[in-house]
Amino acid sequence: MDAASDQGPDAQGQLDRLLDEDPADLYENAPMGYLSTLPDGRIVKVNRTFCVWTGRPVEDVVGSRFQDLLSVGGRVFHETHLRPLLRMQGAVREIALDVVRIDGSLLPCLLNAVEVRDEDGAQVLVRATLFEATARRRYERELLAAQRAAEESEARSRTLQQVVSDLAAATTVGDVAKVIVERGREALRARGAAVLLVDEPRDGVTESPELHTKGVDGLPPGLIDELREAALGQLALELAQGVRSVPLNEQLRLRQPRLAATMADAGLSELVVVPVTADSRRLGVLVVGLGDGHGDLISLEEPGQTKGPPPAEVDLLWTLGRQAGQALERARLHEETERQAERAAFLLEAARMLAEAVDADETVQRVAHLAVDRLADVCAVDLVDEHGMVRPTVRHRDPARQHLADELRERHLPHRGSPHPSVTALREGRTVWARSLPQAFLAEITHDARHLELAQELALVSMISVPFLSEGRPLGVLTLAADAQRGRFTEADVEVAEQLALQMGLVVGKAQRYELDTRTSHTLQANLLPGVPPEVPGLRTAVRYLAATHGVEVGGDFYDVVPLPGGQVALSVGDVVGHDITAAATMGQLTSVYRALLVDGPSPSATIDRLQASWSMLGLQRMATALFATLDPASGQLAIASAGHLPPLLFSAGSAEFLPVRPSRMLGAPQAPAPATQWAGVLPPGGTLVLFTDGLVESRTADIDEGLELLRAAVSRAGTSDPDELCDRLLTELTGAHRADDIALLVLTRLP
Amino acid sequence: MVDVLERNRVTVTGVPAGRPMLFAHGFGCDQEMWRFVAPDFAVDHKVVLFDHVGSGKSDLGAYDPEKYGSLQGYADDIVEICRALDLSDVVFVGHSVSAMIGVLAYQRAPELFGALVMVGPSPRYVDDHGYVGGFTRSDILGLLDALDSNHLGWSTQMAPVIMGNPDRPELAEELTNSFCSTDPDIARQFARVTFLSDNRADLPTVAVPTLVLQCSADVIAPEPVGTYVHEHVPGSVLTHLAATGHCPNLSAPEETTAAIRAFLSG
Repeated sequence: MDAASDQGPDAQGQLDRLLDEDPADLYENAPMGYLSTLPDGRIVKVNRTFCVWTGRPVEDVVGSRFQDLLSVGGRVFHETHLRPLLRMQGAVREIALDVVRIDGSLLPCLLNAVEVRDEDGAQVLVRATLFEATARRRYERELLAAQRAAEESEARSRTLQQVVSDLAAATTVGDVAKVIVERGREALRARGAAVLLVDEPRDGVTESPELHTKGVDGLPPGLIDELREAALGQLALELAQGVRSVPLNEQLRLRQPRLAATMADAGLSELVVVPVTADSRRLGVLVVGLGDGHGDLISLEEPGQTKGPPPAEVDLLWTLGRQAGQALERARLHEETERQAERAAFLLEAARMLAEAVDADETVQRVAHLAVDRLADVCAVDLVDEHGMVRPTVRHRDPARQHLADELRERHLPHRGSPHPSVTALREGRTVWARSLPQAFLAEITHDARHLELAQELALVSMISVPFLSEGRPLGVLTLAADAQRGRFTEADVEVAEQLALQMGLVVGKAQRYELDTRTSHTLQANLLPGVPPEVPGLRTAVRYLAATHGVEVGGDFYDVVPLPGGQVALSVGDVVGHDITAAATMGQLTSVYRALLVDGPSPSATIDRLQASWSMLGLQRMATALFATLDPASGQLAIASAGHLPPLLFSAGSAEFLPVRPSRMLGAPQAPAPATQWAGVLPPGGTLVLFTDGLVESRTADIDEGLELLRAAVSRAGTSDPDELCDRLLTELTGAHRADDIALLVLTRLP
Repeated sequence: MVDVLERNRVTVTGVPAGRPMLFAHGFGCDQEMWRFVAPDFAVDHKVVLFDHVGSGKSDLGAYDPEKYGSLQGYADDIVEICRALDLSDVVFVGHSVSAMIGVLAYQRAPELFGALVMVGPSPRYVDDHGYVGGFTRSDILGLLDALDSNHLGWSTQMAPVIMGNPDRPELAEELTNSFCSTDPDIARQFARVTFLSDNRADLPTVAVPTLVLQCSADVIAPEPVGTYVHEHVPGSVLTHLAATGHCPNLSAPEETTAAIRAFLSG
């Protein structure tokens, strides 16, 4: 017999004894909680294990409702899931519940239960077993947490991927801002978001950078301003601090009541400020506004308590900010390249337009038009004239806002001491660039409340004034302004403005000189011509002088009516060759000499001969054509001689014809064998004589014969012998709006 | 075009010409919750049952977190169901959160509804200044944890089997707890929407006869909440049930049925 078989019957007996258990002991000390409840949950029987696990005496447990021993979550779950399931399928398995121990701690359990039903299927009893599942539940929770973290991490990397691909497609700063705002908002399931960018850095400027809003979505309009103000210019410092949270709490209410109020009004509980950086350069911030709860749901956070975004989201935002920064730099480079091309095209266009302008005013108008088309929202041009500064134009890009610009033009009364950029630019002869236009500055450069109001209404944020010069002399100032929508001017904008002003200076200077010359010539010419012809008994006379309509050219055209002693009248009409100041001066001399000759009372042909003879002595530089005539108003005796001039027209008894005056050589023309001839005839009573220069017959046609015929027909048709009336008719009929040459016209009628 | 009736697994029984009664289950399970009540009304009513999208055997593919991020999404479905079935003068019976969904559906299309029956309603579960809802925020967090701990046998492997074979219910039977089982993420969001909504301001807009059924010892919708609803729905009737807990439709169907019948005939 071996040892095992010796012990066999004995060991078997022991096992039999152990297995011959007391059912009551088995129930009471089973390795699980065991309880029975009535349908309403009241516990009618419970085992000792459950009481030991929960630390509750049996007499407390019996009579309590099972659900009352559960945690709140468990209680709700009991009502919404456990009881319905028991009723519907008669049993439940593996329900996780937390039972509250007597000391308040939780006992994680798994519960199985069956329903005991009567014959009608009604529930009479529920039997439940509970297994302690602390370790298992902890493991499950950890598993769940890990799964959640993995899901969130996946969601974050999806967000990032989306951001990266969206940013890759964004070519403008505006696009980039839009992507960051949208994705930043999504990532935090936020109410709204905004991007604020630092003004592009400039060399040698160390002042604290200013931020301007580039994109905003879902945040109230005043919030960004409040935030900026609350940060007292330190918002830029936020850039250095990583992702920051600004919760709406007592502290904020105390320190920044207005920001807190704005946040509260908008239902925001927290702002998250995320730096936007590229290679450690701080480009701006993303501001994300978190609301109370998601959508309209009640927040799970206790009122006034915010935890801030969890670290994983902070990391995501930080990365988002960096990605955005890179994209921003890329977009800026891209935009700058495009802008440069645009600027080149703009300046080319400007040069073309300026070349076409005929005078200073048109130049100014064209520049203003072009500037608001491409470069600025408002363009004003000031010109210096003899009285000081005048402002011929202010234009606005938007025709709907032009009325504001018009009012600005009328209101503009720059005085020498004004700190207005345009005045400073003119006074100091240099470009003045107001990068930003703070309220205080606006108030300084405007001169009354309405002026300030206008400036505010136009929402101007930046201004450039560039003086334009000609030969070192300031002619005026070109002022450009940008509104909030366009954003501030950049260095490059200033360069374009300066080049534009340079072109303007050249063109306006030239135009002004040209206009001055024209004015001088015309003034001179007007002074050289005799005025209204004197009253001569027996005659009615009328004269007209029309200057050419374009160009500074002045003609040397003239007419003259001089009463002679003995009742005769000397008449003349002529045209000095050329269209310039020399021609005008020659005409002046010629008419003076002619008058001097009249003292001797020479015949018209003698007048021509004497002028021809003395021409070289007079030093007259130009040749001239002329008609000279004498008329006796009493008898109508008329003598006419022509020095290369067109014949006069006689209108009498309803018919008009040219008098056959044979022209001799032009005054000052090289010597020719024949002396001047003279036509003699009679001007009948009521007859009208028309003397003119070639401008009248060359206005409509280049063919002189055709022109003469038009004139003859016009006179015939006119049906009047009143000289003034006839003058007007002829000018209306024969001249157009544009005249290449001056016209001198002398009409006289011998009264019947 | 969405097939509303398929999406919400709508079942219509009873007398076709009878007054329509639309039963809406609450947070937790599905239309089976009405299994002891609906048959009684089928005798003389047109009885319409359905599952909210995301619950029971509804089309989980139709679950849009955006739409069902508020009770209004569920309310819009109810209006769609009523219109799809061409119902009018509907007696809307809403259990638990569906009582408030009914109020929102009524607001959206008042012409469809003739009466509201609210079983264990609560317009707001979270306590507020001067208002007792019965729950603190940390209670709700605990509830969400409890939900996370109970996926009730949900298995992503089994889900397609159940959903893809609606004509073979025995497949669903293989899952324990199938009536109250759904995608845990959906369950979690439905819980949030249920327990974090505030519909107190909507109560006074109700202008049809309304019955408020208040259970005894209901931890989810305690006595003061039922009284609050009664006081704020103009002309409503408040009936106390002896039934305890939150689901008298299961635990005391006769009493529930009797109370509703009394209200409808009154």
